[in-house]
Amino acid sequence: MRHLPLSLAATFCVLFLGAPLLVMAWSTVFSEDGFTLQAYGQLLAEPIDRLQMRNTLALGATSTVIALLLGGGHAFLTHRTDMPGAAWLAPLGAAPLAIPPIVVAMGFSDLGKTWGFSVSGFMICALLLGISYAPLVAVMTARGLRSVDGRAYEAVLLTRGRAPAERMLLRMVRPEIAAGCLFALVFVVSEHGVPEFLTVKGKTWHTYAEGVFARWTRRATGVSHADLVSPIVAAVPLLLIIAVALFFALRLRAHTDLRSVRPPLPRRSLGRLRIPALLLPLVYLGAGIGVPLVVLSRWAAGSTQVDTPMGFAQVRHNVQAAFSQAGTDLTTTIVVAAATAVLVLLIAMPIAFRAAGRWPVLQHLSVVPIAVPAILLGMGLVKVWNSPLVADWLYSWSGDFYGTAGLLTCGYAARFLPFGVLALTQSLQRQAASVGEAAQLSARTPLARFLRIRLPLLMPAGWSAMCLVFVLGLRELDLAVVLPAGNETVVRRLSNVVHFGGEDMGGALALMLLGVAVLVPLIVVLVTGRRLTSLS
Amino acid sequence: MSSIEIQNLVARHGSGFVLGPCDLSLAAGSRTAVIGPSGCGKTTLLRCIAGLHPGEGRIALDGQLVNDPKRIVPPSARRIGFVFQDGGLWPHLSVAEHLSFASPGLGTQAAEELLAQVGLAGRSRARPGELSGGEAQRLALARALAGDPRILLLDEPLHSVDTALRGQLGVLIRKLVDARGLTLVLVTHDRDEALALADQLVILKSGKVLETGSADTLLQQPRTAFGAAFLAGATCVPVSVNGGATVATPFGPVPSPADRSCPHALVLLPGEVVVRGDGPVEARVLSVFGAADGARALIDLGGHAMQVPNDGTLRIGTTVRVALRGAPRVLPMDRSEQEANA
Repeated sequence: MRHLPLSLAATFCVLFLGAPLLVMAWSTVFSEDGFTLQAYGQLLAEPIDRLQMRNTLALGATSTVIALLLGGGHAFLTHRTDMPGAAWLAPLGAAPLAIPPIVVAMGFSDLGKTWGFSVSGFMICALLLGISYAPLVAVMTARGLRSVDGRAYEAVLLTRGRAPAERMLLRMVRPEIAAGCLFALVFVVSEHGVPEFLTVKGKTWHTYAEGVFARWTRRATGVSHADLVSPIVAAVPLLLIIAVALFFALRLRAHTDLRSVRPPLPRRSLGRLRIPALLLPLVYLGAGIGVPLVVLSRWAAGSTQVDTPMGFAQVRHNVQAAFSQAGTDLTTTIVVAAATAVLVLLIAMPIAFRAAGRWPVLQHLSVVPIAVPAILLGMGLVKVWNSPLVADWLYSWSGDFYGTAGLLTCGYAARFLPFGVLALTQSLQRQAASVGEAAQLSARTPLARFLRIRLPLLMPAGWSAMCLVFVLGLRELDLAVVLPAGNETVVRRLSNVVHFGGEDMGGALALMLLGVAVLVPLIVVLVTGRRLTSLS
Repeated sequence: MSSIEIQNLVARHGSGFVLGPCDLSLAAGSRTAVIGPSGCGKTTLLRCIAGLHPGEGRIALDGQLVNDPKRIVPPSARRIGFVFQDGGLWPHLSVAEHLSFASPGLGTQAAEELLAQVGLAGRSRARPGELSGGEAQRLALARALAGDPRILLLDEPLHSVDTALRGQLGVLIRKLVDARGLTLVLVTHDRDEALALADQLVILKSGKVLETGSADTLLQQPRTAFGAAFLAGATCVPVSVNGGATVATPFGPVPSPADRSCPHALVLLPGEVVVRGDGPVEARVLSVFGAADGARALIDLGGHAMQVPNDGTLRIGTTVRVALRGAPRVLPMDRSEQEANA
């Protein structure tokens, strides 16, 4: 009974993470004729594969530099200087995370049409992804700056002067900044939605993740074993890049000790640059939130309708149309995202307790889902849950699970599990061991101890993780593209706007989705009366 | 009241030894202080008794085995009160909720009485964040007593309070322990705290029990140089023990110890060394100062600093001759290391 929660969490991980990945790995080396490495012989054999690999690496590096400039710059200015409005602007650094990258891309695409510039090609793709994933660098940089002991900085400032103090500060924050950059790199190289969008909108231009997806959609045309497993094999180099980046990101992240309360860093005066310095946060937040919101609002107001003037009547009409045509999708999306958030919390909790205690290796193992591109995980889920074996055995008495939102929820939960595990583990590590031990000495049952002592102390981090997972669940496209129930999500419908038009209704729908993404965390803050901590 | 019997207890952190093998026998109703330097395994010993740290070996509380290879009684079933070094208070619960959670059967009246006993009357609605350091320690003590324990374990309970409060809390703890007839085990590296709260002392070093006995005995007749230095503030001057019948010391020869397998030291307890014109040893006065029990001087005795009474004639920088009251005492420097080597 004591190990039941961990057993259930382990079962979930086996069913929705281990099994899909194992089945895919197995299928690459075992054909009908037995063991074969033939598929791996074709690894990077085709020029297109090598080109995609180069594109992906270049895109990852460029986007990461942009994310560093925007996110790192925003965090530095808002946490370290006396820039006006820094206290308000600082928490907004994470806000662009609520906007799906595809929506940012659609916003800039529309802006390009209006202002007459082309939104296609490598640099635009790097810029869009850099903007979309800059919040990761912003959050991690802010975390690093908060962890620095202000007295250490002041000691160098007094003895050696300003420049050495700043150099020392940079050395101390560098691990966190590097970790943020590596997390951004991980997400950029596994992103397929934006590169595909730019391919559709502009000239053909492929990345690795997008290539893997393209192979997956074309696999039915293959005949040999190597053809059929080529999408999986093609993803192996991508997997290696991500695994290496993640390994270093986690090692660097572990450097920071947030357990003790330290005097904060003194803020630097910007002098005459106080007002001009606002330009960077404004550009960052304008590009990450402002442009998508303005464009979506314009769409909702009918900017794409030639024969109807823009106005509130159009907004009302489009909102009504969105409700009538995609109301079910919106409901499904919200329910799936909410269920994912709850599921992640339930699964992450027993894992986090072990990771914070005797099995710290679990914290590193739990990030495997981030290392696996969502497309690949989706393919694995299809292979397992749509296999004849499972269908014959399971679906005969349980009904078809494969096509339901249940599989989508489990897939999302598997993908976002690391956020729950990392947030809860960190929260547990920050609690004094004696708090839990004092409860152990009381004459209460383990369940009472958990509900009355451990859970309330864990819930601020739990709410943070749930809000993050909820927002990520609302915007997840890659898994929604692969799994059948994903067709009934708002993000999938929005991506169809790219192909089939319907921007006015799509804009209204996207605005409603963003409203939900902002509203739910706000309600959580108001209801619980607590700050959402531990997100980083 | 409950006795504590510990046999062959070994505790590990990861792959490294922290404690043991360790044998201890603490009588029911005794007040014992486990003292030793930081990292010597004091807290681990306490946690093993409470069942919060896994230990190999046997632990029996009042004759009942709570830890042996076949049986481990969970902490909640050992009837132990524990005051943690950092309090270990639950930040989201009020003072009253602390007591009601720690002891579900404790009625409101009993809880209020307990709070009054520890000096927290009228603070039942406060949360730990609203309490002062002293109040937080009082709450930790009340919580430990709420479950009607037979043994009270204190992990440096006066560590985080100021000197004035230490005295008050020390008296309170002693009063409550006596009134309830509890067996007390206290862990500290503070000699004064140990002497204020306990009658029996256990000196621990590097996870091994060096000495046990009453406070008076260990203060006046220490058995190891470390114990003398740690407990009585003795100055230890290493001496060479060779095969001869006597050991040469600055204050004259002493009979050679029977056990010559470890290094030994001449142990000089405070007050044993006095300034005397015909003293056999020369020393230099480093500083002079007033103390509660009279004027004192700090002297350099062959590279070892120690205090001597100052009759007002000693001046900084002068050279004086010192002598020893009584016979010189040579003790082993570290018995635990000796045992480890053996």
